[in-house]
Amino acid sequence: MTDSIFALIAEELGRIAADKGEVLPPLTAGSRFLDGDLPIDSLDLATLLVVLEQRTGQDPFREGFRQFATVGELAALYTVPA
Amino acid sequence: MTGRRPDWMHPAFRLIEGEESFGWKELAALPVPAGGIIQADRPSRVLAAVAAAEAAGQGLLLARGVPDANARDADCQPGQGFSVTLESSGTTGTPKRLRHDFARLRGRLRGVADEGARWLLTYDPGAFAGLQVMLTAAAAGALLVAVPRGSAAGERPAGGLVAELAQMARRHAVTHVSGTPSFWRAFLMALGEAELPLDAVTLGGEAADQPLLDRLAERFPRARLRHIYASTEAGALFAVADGRAGFPAAWLDDAPDGLALRIADGVLEVRSPRAAADAVDRQGWLSTGDLVERQGDRLLFAGRLDGLVNVGGVKVSPEAVERRLLAVDGVADAAVVAVPSPITGHLLTATIVPIPGADEAALRTALRAVSADLPPAARPRALTFAEHIPLSAAGKKSRKGAS
Repeated sequence: MTDSIFALIAEELGRIAADKGEVLPPLTAGSRFLDGDLPIDSLDLATLLVVLEQRTGQDPFREGFRQFATVGELAALYTVPA
Repeated sequence: MTGRRPDWMHPAFRLIEGEESFGWKELAALPVPAGGIIQADRPSRVLAAVAAAEAAGQGLLLARGVPDANARDADCQPGQGFSVTLESSGTTGTPKRLRHDFARLRGRLRGVADEGARWLLTYDPGAFAGLQVMLTAAAAGALLVAVPRGSAAGERPAGGLVAELAQMARRHAVTHVSGTPSFWRAFLMALGEAELPLDAVTLGGEAADQPLLDRLAERFPRARLRHIYASTEAGALFAVADGRAGFPAAWLDDAPDGLALRIADGVLEVRSPRAAADAVDRQGWLSTGDLVERQGDRLLFAGRLDGLVNVGGVKVSPEAVERRLLAVDGVADAAVVAVPSPITGHLLTATIVPIPGADEAALRTALRAVSADLPPAARPRALTFAEHIPLSAAGKKSRKGAS
């Protein structure tokens, strides 16, 4: 399912946090992006989406914004290659 | 076409285009229309068409790429005598067309007296800068070395157009090269350690940064090193020949070549005897749209006013950030591009070309350090490493993200 996307998000979020000298807490599908669960801000989130597009070749936001608040909701926006 | 050699072409002028060689006799034999629209993909075709249109007293449109359906005869100004219309290098939408009086195109030529010069054409033959190099070489009776472009091009060596230009430059021992800073960075990489004793190194079309000027001065110690500042509306404004980026702040009080310079809200404004009359205000001032900042006795270019992008509510200049990255040891070239973001509107991303053997992890650390004092919105995110940076037809970096 979305396990590989979830792993990709965890890897890249970890890298973004490490670049800022932060340590990412254990990530779950219910971890919320911008309300204090995670040590990231909106620029970090924007960076994550650019990196995910570079790595998956997909841009789920091409046609406009789609609502997501948690790691699981974001992962669900990407289709997993078979 | 047959006819007399135009007075702007010296009898000794020769053009080498790939494997072909042209003098006036060979150019005059090329089948080109006397005026109208031509595809400006080869210097031979452009020079022959300019000569034919001039002889027939007709307007000529030099189309970049295949002339599109929007190009009509009206764009060549039929019935209004000889003129040359050029297309801008805009990467999106319909190109802008600008009609030039040929006498004015030629009037801008300078430094044509170099005997025995061998020029390399790095610009598109349909571009203003390309035409200037071609006319300069033609007037001086120089040798002009070029490679065919676009659909006319055959197999390119790995590394593309710049690698082929480097091969041609060495094969024909060129002495004069004019190109964009982006071209020069790629050219230095393509040339490697190969011998190429140049007499003249000219940069234009983009702001020249100090690390590049230093590398060029070291690589070509014999060469006259100049960077040219020009704007679309005002034409060529000044040349800086002291090997330093930007220009002397003292020019605000006393500018060369009959110019006056001033800064309004961080933007450079000029008053030039060569500016198009309809582009200036009542006092003769023209805004260049180029941001400048003072550093000591120097004014440095800091990107385009219309190149500012909004990142999460903060206006940032991709070019200014790029200049910082270019100054990092181990960076051969860098491009900072704004990509659209659903979260922050835009985001700056950077593509880095490392010098051979550079340690990527150390380079990442150094690149982060050099932007650490910028506002977070202005720091480039998502650093990607690449072997080269693609250039537009005008030899410049494309500033906006593709997606």
